[in-house]
Amino acid sequence: MLLAGYLRIIQTGIKMGKTLFEKIWQSHIVAERQDGPALIYVDRHLVHEVTSPQAFEGLRINDRRVRRPDLTVATMDHNVPTSNRMLPILDQTSAVQIQTLEKNCRDFGIKLFDINSDNQGIVHVIGPQLGITLPGTTIVCGDSHTSTHGAFGALALGIGTSDVEHVLASQTLWLEKPRPFEIRVKGKRKNPHAVTAKDIILSIIKNIGTDGGTGTVIEYRGQGVTDLSMEQRMTVCNMSIEAGARAGLIAPDEKTFEYLRGRKYTPDDYESLVDSWRDNLRTDSDAKFEKQFTLHIDDIAPQVSWGTNPGMTCDVTESIPSPDEFSKGNSGQKKSAEKALDYMALESGTAIQDIKIDRVFIGSCTNARLEDLLEASKIVKGQKISPSVRAMVVPGSQMVKRQAEELGLDKIFLDANFEWRESGCSMCLGMNPDILSPGERCASTSNRNFEGRQGTGGRTHLVSPVMAAAAAICGHFVDVREMDLR
Amino acid sequence: MMEGNVIKYAQDNIDTDVIIPGQYLKIHDYAEIAIHAMEGLDPDFHSKVSKGDFVLSGKNFGCGSSREHAPIALSHSGITAVLALSFARIFYRNAVDGAFLLPIEIGQDAYDGISDGDRVAIDIACNEIKNITTGQTYKMKPFSEIIGKIIAAGGLFAYNPDGD
Repeated sequence: MLLAGYLRIIQTGIKMGKTLFEKIWQSHIVAERQDGPALIYVDRHLVHEVTSPQAFEGLRINDRRVRRPDLTVATMDHNVPTSNRMLPILDQTSAVQIQTLEKNCRDFGIKLFDINSDNQGIVHVIGPQLGITLPGTTIVCGDSHTSTHGAFGALALGIGTSDVEHVLASQTLWLEKPRPFEIRVKGKRKNPHAVTAKDIILSIIKNIGTDGGTGTVIEYRGQGVTDLSMEQRMTVCNMSIEAGARAGLIAPDEKTFEYLRGRKYTPDDYESLVDSWRDNLRTDSDAKFEKQFTLHIDDIAPQVSWGTNPGMTCDVTESIPSPDEFSKGNSGQKKSAEKALDYMALESGTAIQDIKIDRVFIGSCTNARLEDLLEASKIVKGQKISPSVRAMVVPGSQMVKRQAEELGLDKIFLDANFEWRESGCSMCLGMNPDILSPGERCASTSNRNFEGRQGTGGRTHLVSPVMAAAAAICGHFVDVREMDLR
Repeated sequence: MMEGNVIKYAQDNIDTDVIIPGQYLKIHDYAEIAIHAMEGLDPDFHSKVSKGDFVLSGKNFGCGSSREHAPIALSHSGITAVLALSFARIFYRNAVDGAFLLPIEIGQDAYDGISDGDRVAIDIACNEIKNITTGQTYKMKPFSEIIGKIIAAGGLFAYNPDGD
């Protein structure tokens, strides 16, 4: 069913080289207007309970059906409880939203992985795991972190509810063409267990800023990217939106093809698709990017955010910068930094490793895959968390949870006094009961440290899973490069 | 021509989590969502906003989540346009596609020259913003062709490309 899209990728003999993004864009144009805006065909539409109810309501009011229910998949992740799922959902508004998605999927014939499904999980974790995410496809979801799927060489865009309704009704979207942005990640990390994909993407955002990618689709390239596993690549692409980009993607390679081989919804003609992807899904050597940034990763350190946006980040070995140092003369940035320090109750000059934490959250679509939990467990094994810390692990999906349990990771975390919970978005965005209390400080593997994101008055520091695990043990941030990571 | 008072937040990166915090995304009633607009940044917003007001802010307005509740909350509070140095793209498209409010990109001159509480008139046809309080006039960045058409049609569903 998706074949038409792939076949159209075959080059048409135009002279100038194209970027991977431009190839995918061109092969999905249904109609085009002068100077760029195009009606783009959507190969996969992922749906969750929070941004879809009004869209389905709109279909009903206008007596429309879902054009391609077979290309639409839904799950519930944002406000599902992560405690015992045999119990009823106490929050009535959450219960209603979850029931509404069940009814909408029933009425419109959409496949749903519901709260009791073995395949339930965060929409951006289950898409790749089930083989729904495929190279060269266009994927949309009413969620900004849809950029995650770009790790497979897909053009994956976050959209809002009006656009969700438009895709449900027409399987297309009117889009202005984003500009291609090359981010080259050069070099090799000395200690890849301690310096992770999360540290790479936080370093990028620290450098280009939270609006550095606005209006662009980022292609991450270079050895620093190809060295990463698929799960690590997802962490990088996931946070493209935190740099303001419309999407982020990585050209598929043998690791990509191997990851998707034999998954539940991997197409039957997979090997012939792989042959075509191998030939076509890469940026031509003479293609032009409109923007370029290079990050050298030989010597980067684990990163810790200190402020209220992901660009406010520094090395674990550094101290919190003064608003003057941070803003480099920009008055707006200086004011933001002052406000951030006030909200975070931190002072300039404080060493990152002197910051004490109350909570640890290992979870979210950024860092709740098997490898994330496995790496964190190596820090935790045989240890106990600091008595002043409450720590939780929220696997990204039921499949991740099962796989982790098969490896005995649940026992490692539970023995260290971590909570081991059911899958969902959880404390990444404070929609379910997993929230910070006002003033609580959290080392979090999620993607956003905005004011109130994890609960009103909560203070978030973004870190990698190993950094979060180490902070849980010590009660404050520590440089994981100095720990034994086996 | 639109005319209204300005509520100014002189900062960059106002994110959708402060425009409408996550715990309110379960609410379906737009009037009730509006009560919590800007709550994460300015708890007094709901009591001071009037119908027809504008929000003015710095760079990267509406960054973060794709929640359409953000333009909905502002729009149903009475805000008809957000004037900012730049916008995050998902917020921008949500505002336009759902016909909730106008996202208007302004220059540094307008950002500096318009203060909290000023009365402002916006003339989309001429791409002009007049600060009635001070008498100064500024240029706004024109909408792209397709965005202008979606706005004129009253949202993405009302936009008929065959009419081009």
